[in-house]
Amino acid sequence: MDLIIESFKAAILLILARDHELLVIVGCSLKVSGLATVFAAVVGLPLGFLIAFTAFPGKRLTLTCLNTLLALPTVVIGLLVYTLISRRGILGSLDLLYTQKAMIIGQIILIIPVIATMTIAAISRIDKRYRTTAQTLGANSCQVAWVICFEARYGIIAAAIAAFGRVIAEIGISMMLGGNAKGFTRTMTTAMALEYDKGEFILAVALGIILMGLAFAINMIFQLFQGRVGADAV
Amino acid sequence: MLYEINKLIRVHQGRTILDIPKLVIPAGKITSLIGPNGAGKTTLLHLLAFLDTPSSGTISFRSSPVHFVAKELHLLRQRVVLVDQYPILFTGSVYKNLEFGLKVRKIEKKKRRPLIQEALEMVGMQDFMNAEAHKLSGGETKRVALARALVIKPEVLLCDEPTANVDSENQEIIQSILERANGREKISILFATHSLSQARRLADQTVTLKDGRPSELSRENVLPASIVGQDEGRVICRLQNDVHITVPAASHSAGISNVQIFLNPAKISLLQSGEPFAAQENLLPGKVVKIAGGNGQVKITIDVGVHVDIFLSLPEYVRKPPLIGEAVFLHIPDEAITIE
Repeated sequence: MDLIIESFKAAILLILARDHELLVIVGCSLKVSGLATVFAAVVGLPLGFLIAFTAFPGKRLTLTCLNTLLALPTVVIGLLVYTLISRRGILGSLDLLYTQKAMIIGQIILIIPVIATMTIAAISRIDKRYRTTAQTLGANSCQVAWVICFEARYGIIAAAIAAFGRVIAEIGISMMLGGNAKGFTRTMTTAMALEYDKGEFILAVALGIILMGLAFAINMIFQLFQGRVGADAV
Repeated sequence: MLYEINKLIRVHQGRTILDIPKLVIPAGKITSLIGPNGAGKTTLLHLLAFLDTPSSGTISFRSSPVHFVAKELHLLRQRVVLVDQYPILFTGSVYKNLEFGLKVRKIEKKKRRPLIQEALEMVGMQDFMNAEAHKLSGGETKRVALARALVIKPEVLLCDEPTANVDSENQEIIQSILERANGREKISILFATHSLSQARRLADQTVTLKDGRPSELSRENVLPASIVGQDEGRVICRLQNDVHITVPAASHSAGISNVQIFLNPAKISLLQSGEPFAAQENLLPGKVVKIAGGNGQVKITIDVGVHVDIFLSLPEYVRKPPLIGEAVFLHIPDEAITIE
């Protein structure tokens, strides 16, 4: 019990002192996960919108595949990307292994299904009359799409927030593709694992507090948007 | 001519929901679309609003055949607007809702406000310009939806049951809006309704749909009645406001007391003062309350305690035109009466 309390106190002091190593690790995590979320959103949002908005043969199968990808373990993605970017892989010449870019690529693959499926759910919830109303008022396809996205905006933002929450807390991809290099590819989760292995709990606990704080903030924002969606639906 | 429909069929999930061999909707008029639930009224309105595609057959708009391809439909939708039975307003203010149609038509920003103001005044919602659209009541929502449709000055306004689920005050307002839109703005209007009195009050022409097909039976004079007795082989039917007509007993199934009576407007005779007539059954005194022309005939509405429509050919009408408010008699022969 003393160990926990002592670690906790020391961790708080580390945070208050703005320890350089701690800040570098947190900065790396936020940068990698933030960029991965932005790039995944650029692909996942339009993909989800198109799947929800259009009727095409194989739509049900596509949805099933996307839902299956939600359960894809991070180590499988890590392994898959590793085979592509390792020296013997087809993208080996790009020298991406153990870089932040490699981590971002892996995390994008992880969360595109998350963003796409949540966008599909958000768009599908929107009343069909929005579409016909916009059409009958003379809107073209892009304007109709904009109306629907605007009405589904809280659900779409919630999709991006949930995706960020997923990648900031993952460890498999960061460890396998980033390599946990100090000051370069070390993220909060990989640093915590390392410190645990070393028996150095103070930095691990400090990172844990920050991660939990971030997770709490993300969930608060997520709940806020979800609440707005629910309130609008009433 | 506004619309001309030929051999139109709409099939949905293997079921034919609309089958119209021929139908003409005149321009500049108010046309009502009457029929029970599931008769195909909404489907027809969606087809006429170019929001749906027929399974087969043709629709001509302003004498040009409609090709159901995206680019052409988008252009046609700029001229025709549909107000849904349960209209939905976009998130945001009433102003933003009305601005939408103007924005997509690339109307300059400074010109939008006066147009929006004018449209809201037309529906009596000018004080709600900055109100949150989602906080309006059902009747207010319908009026704003009408304003949103009217602000873009469409050639055609299609309304799906415009007064359904609103209170009587809003019903009256909405009916007046439609009348003004047609009279002042010269917008052709086609509306679906269950209300015969509304159709009779507003419409120059009524189209009746039953099971997706135009009904042969005229629905101009569909009147609820109760059987109150028999006299000399004839059944006595009481209509609203204590108006009585009699029908041969053979045309009515015994035991049924509440019925609907259809009076074929083409077979009812109008007798003006000075015209000789013998004492007959079903001779009802009344006053002319509405006269409307179209398609080579004149529809005259007579208030005999209930409103009864009759059709006169143009030569018949010109020979001795009745005047609004003129006292007349209606003779309803047995062959004009159908009892259900």
